[in-house]
Amino acid sequence: MKNPIMTASGTFGSGREYVPFVNLNKLGALVVKSVTLNERSGNSCPRICETPSGILNSIGLQNSGIERFIAEEIPFLSSFDMPLIVNVAGESVEEYARVCALLEDVRGVSGIELNISCPNVKKGGMLFGQDPKMATEIVVECKKTTKIPLIVKLTPNIADNSIIAREVENAGADAVSLINTLMGMAIDIETFKPMLGNITGGLSGPAIRPVAVRMVWEVAKAVSIPVIGMGGISSARDAIEFFLVGAQAVAIGTANFIDPAATMNIVDELDSFLNEKGFKSIKEIIGQVKA
Amino acid sequence: MSNIHNASAKVISNEQIAADIYRLKFYNMKIAADCKPGQFVHIQCGRGRNFILRRPFSIHRKNGGGSFEILFQVVGEGTKALSNIKPRDELSLIGPIGNGFKIDDEARNILLVSGGLGIAPLIFLVDELLSEKRRVCVLLGAANRERLLYAIDLKRLVRKLHIATDDGSQGHQGPIVDLLPETIEEFEPEMIYACGPEGMLKRIAGIAGEYNIPAQVCLERRMACGVGACLSCVCKVKQEEKEIIKRVCIDGPVFKAEDIVWET
Repeated sequence: MKNPIMTASGTFGSGREYVPFVNLNKLGALVVKSVTLNERSGNSCPRICETPSGILNSIGLQNSGIERFIAEEIPFLSSFDMPLIVNVAGESVEEYARVCALLEDVRGVSGIELNISCPNVKKGGMLFGQDPKMATEIVVECKKTTKIPLIVKLTPNIADNSIIAREVENAGADAVSLINTLMGMAIDIETFKPMLGNITGGLSGPAIRPVAVRMVWEVAKAVSIPVIGMGGISSARDAIEFFLVGAQAVAIGTANFIDPAATMNIVDELDSFLNEKGFKSIKEIIGQVKA
Repeated sequence: MSNIHNASAKVISNEQIAADIYRLKFYNMKIAADCKPGQFVHIQCGRGRNFILRRPFSIHRKNGGGSFEILFQVVGEGTKALSNIKPRDELSLIGPIGNGFKIDDEARNILLVSGGLGIAPLIFLVDELLSEKRRVCVLLGAANRERLLYAIDLKRLVRKLHIATDDGSQGHQGPIVDLLPETIEEFEPEMIYACGPEGMLKRIAGIAGEYNIPAQVCLERRMACGVGACLSCVCKVKQEEKEIIKRVCIDGPVFKAEDIVWET
């Protein structure tokens, strides 16, 4: 990786739409929107709503399915040289494993990010990431079908992520990333109806940054595999908080809606910060929080 | 893909033209040069991180010399902030975005239907059609006579203008679409363009279909990225027996009325 700045899944599509604003090759890595085994049409509108310093979204994992992703997006993505990380979602352990199996034969996939904030439909809709057994089962089964490095993306909707992080590390995960969105809800007081068509959604943006920083801190202390931090980062200064608590890399999501060139700005700002402070590389500040 | 810019635009003027309606003129050479009727700009309404989401506004008019206008109503925090913007302020804009209205080379008689703030993109379209010497008829609807924007200018500029207000303070009392069938019979349009509340657009789609006249409608959705990546702003359209999902930002905002699967 040229630099420790990645895109957060769901905010960047497959990168196509950002080409007018961003030099994709300058990204540390491109993490694309979640892919599922089968095509999904997603939730009813409205799918988005603004909240103080944040947004609630319930897109519903709309995507064309893994086969069309491989046929249509991979050729486009291969024309760039930044590392490509494919985010994978599923409704059952089998689905995750099957998608990984299909990606195994694709050239140019540097990593798979397992989006385990999905409800396990076989277990009454409990999020995979809320139960250590379910989370580890996904890692174990996916490790059987692919050699591509696996990053497990953790959900913040849980009391203590350090347990799950340790369990997935033991199961063979190559890295963890966190946090995904916080579950939230907003009501339109004129109509008495929820703002989102799906009623609840995921909160992201600056409002969640303190929750993310705390969870990255806890997880980084619990595991030795790399931790990728994300949650409300909109500047290099925000990113530095994450490096200090132990993140090896960070992902930028909602900030791309504020400014489509946010990733580029943050790469440059981070460089300037390191130069100013006399650090030769980001490694000198990773985990250096005095706590 | 047509040119889309992520740029700073300087405010030239911000004029209040009705109780809660403003006309904001910007200067940005690239956006002005590349924009077409039906496209929009995605605007950051506040400085810093006051607002996470940009707000999309149709391009209302191209003035020449690198300036262009938006027209908006104050409906929430973002538009409230915009109403306080002063000349010489600078705002961050992304645009022009979207497909724009398709103008048929063959159509001579063209009918525009406007409901409320739907007039915003249609004035740009009127300017364009008149510069091409088309015969234009406008149906202009609003809540009351105070909100009948451009009624006087349109009366002077276009071949025919018919008006409707919800409260009957001017013209026909009731929705503007009430006047559509008789206008079609009288004016014989070869193309209809419409912008306004979705209920109005759905009725227009139905009537245009009955008379077999092609119609294009300009949709509106809440947007996040505004550039086609996040899938927040979707609508459903019919395509060969199936329903497929389109992004209102870049696959639209203009769609063929007959293709839309209406939510209401």
